[in-house]
Amino acid sequence: MSILTITDLKKNYGKIQALKGVSFNIPKGSIFGILGPNGSGKTTLLSIILDVLNADGGNYSWFGKPVASDLRKNIGSLLETPNFYHYLSATRNLKITHSISGRGDMAGIDLVLQKVNLFERRKSRFSSFSLGMKQRLAIAAALLGDPEILVLDEPTNGLDPVGIAEIRALIMELSRKGHTIIMASHLLDEVEKVCTHVAILKTGTLVTSGTVEDVLADIDVVELGTANDLAMLHQLLLQFPGYKEVESDGNKILISFPKATANLSNINQYCFEKGFVLNHLVVKKKRLEEKFFELTNN
Amino acid sequence: MLNLFRTEWLKIKNYPGFWWVMGITLLSYPGINGLFYFIYKENTGNEKQAAKMIKMLIGNPFEFPEVFRTVAFTSSLFVFIPAILVIMLITNEYTYKTNRQNVIDGWSRNQFLIAKFLNVVIISGLVVTLSLAITLVIGFVNTTTTNAQSWSLFKYTGLFALQVFSQLSFAFLLGLVIRRAFIALGVFIFYKIILENIAAGILGKYAKDIGRFLPTEVSDRLTPVPAFLGKLDGDSYAKTLSLLNQHVLLSIGYLILFWGLVFFIYKKRDL
Repeated sequence: MSILTITDLKKNYGKIQALKGVSFNIPKGSIFGILGPNGSGKTTLLSIILDVLNADGGNYSWFGKPVASDLRKNIGSLLETPNFYHYLSATRNLKITHSISGRGDMAGIDLVLQKVNLFERRKSRFSSFSLGMKQRLAIAAALLGDPEILVLDEPTNGLDPVGIAEIRALIMELSRKGHTIIMASHLLDEVEKVCTHVAILKTGTLVTSGTVEDVLADIDVVELGTANDLAMLHQLLLQFPGYKEVESDGNKILISFPKATANLSNINQYCFEKGFVLNHLVVKKKRLEEKFFELTNN
Repeated sequence: MLNLFRTEWLKIKNYPGFWWVMGITLLSYPGINGLFYFIYKENTGNEKQAAKMIKMLIGNPFEFPEVFRTVAFTSSLFVFIPAILVIMLITNEYTYKTNRQNVIDGWSRNQFLIAKFLNVVIISGLVVTLSLAITLVIGFVNTTTTNAQSWSLFKYTGLFALQVFSQLSFAFLLGLVIRRAFIALGVFIFYKIILENIAAGILGKYAKDIGRFLPTEVSDRLTPVPAFLGKLDGDSYAKTLSLLNQHVLLSIGYLILFWGLVFFIYKKRDL
């Protein structure tokens, strides 16, 4: 079941097309990463689904229902920068979040402040907070009332390594509880660690979307090594049935196959029968970073 | 509606800047009216011949019912002070980007504006209540006996209310369009105090008084000068008074235009 359906979404800033007809679905319970280089349209996309920007075309629907402000009350969101009243304390700012969204209560406010390690500073003015503390308060506001859906735009911005690890653990914990998390991030390593699904944008166009596994594994790459002559093994593998490409990096040979067709036993047996003993044979997993660069031509 | 009001209260109740400007507003109205009153008293409150002459010529603008018109007029000169408050409240939301956060958190754009509309209504209400209290205090101090006739010019308090609400709505519109506090404030004060007065004066002289249709001049005409000043040009004053009803309608028209623009712009604009 889809929590959010985005259909042919378009947005222009003057002559610049920030979104050029983007469509995808976000399944319930997923941790959905939205990736893309700077200016790819990630924040524009999130801003439209949170009604901060007006789309120039296309539409979106939360929970399969027509767009309505009340639906947003069930969504905890952090968009771009932490936006709070500078003259108010952390607690008072969260009271405003509660008053508008109806999410949480006084006990809930204390709870989320404890969760992001701001409880001790709850009475301090927002203007006195460091960048990391401001970010943590924004995460606390998003978490208030334990909303079913979280939209987090660069949630680890300004956080120290401990803070980043804490947010990662928090996201995993929320996901285990069945929450849906939509997350835009530059940190590909982070996304790879936590996300179940990704959509990759490039200059306003959706390059790919799906489960992380599917997006990464569009081909199977098998890495082979031998103590025998590597060049001869290379020649031998050019006769192996079903391969797409064979290449050598000097120490290892990489042979690629169409997705889900690589069979290590068959390769091993084939090489052995031809007199080659392999000392290395693994399916090489593509890293998200590698895939991202490949898709966005960076 | 109650939730909108409650949320706005949470925003302002611990905002020192708001209470400072509110304090200045609350002090300035008694201050300016008191100043005029004491000037009048100083010049008429003795047994000198000149004082008696002045009193005979201008009467007592601080006794009932004339005090309603006098206080409405003097108070109307200082509408720019609560306008600072109104401009501050809307431009702050842009400065802190909390206007967009309010929408992200679940308000519709219209709800955000209705909450701000409530602010303008309440600030207008406070200013008018204060002005009425000043009117009553000065009136009772200066009037020995009151009767039904004493309240005959009470309508000027109502006209002042319409003027305040209209001009604060104009200030709100400027704040919403310009978004930056100091620029919005500068534009409002320059337009209201300098540009429109000059334009209204020139148009009044050379273009059959069409300057009276300018956005805040329309409501400025709701609070004419006290009667003793009107005597300086009786015909013109009589005309001003005869056009009051027309200006009430025009002011309401402008109010609808101001808020219509506010809601239209905010709906179309990216936050």
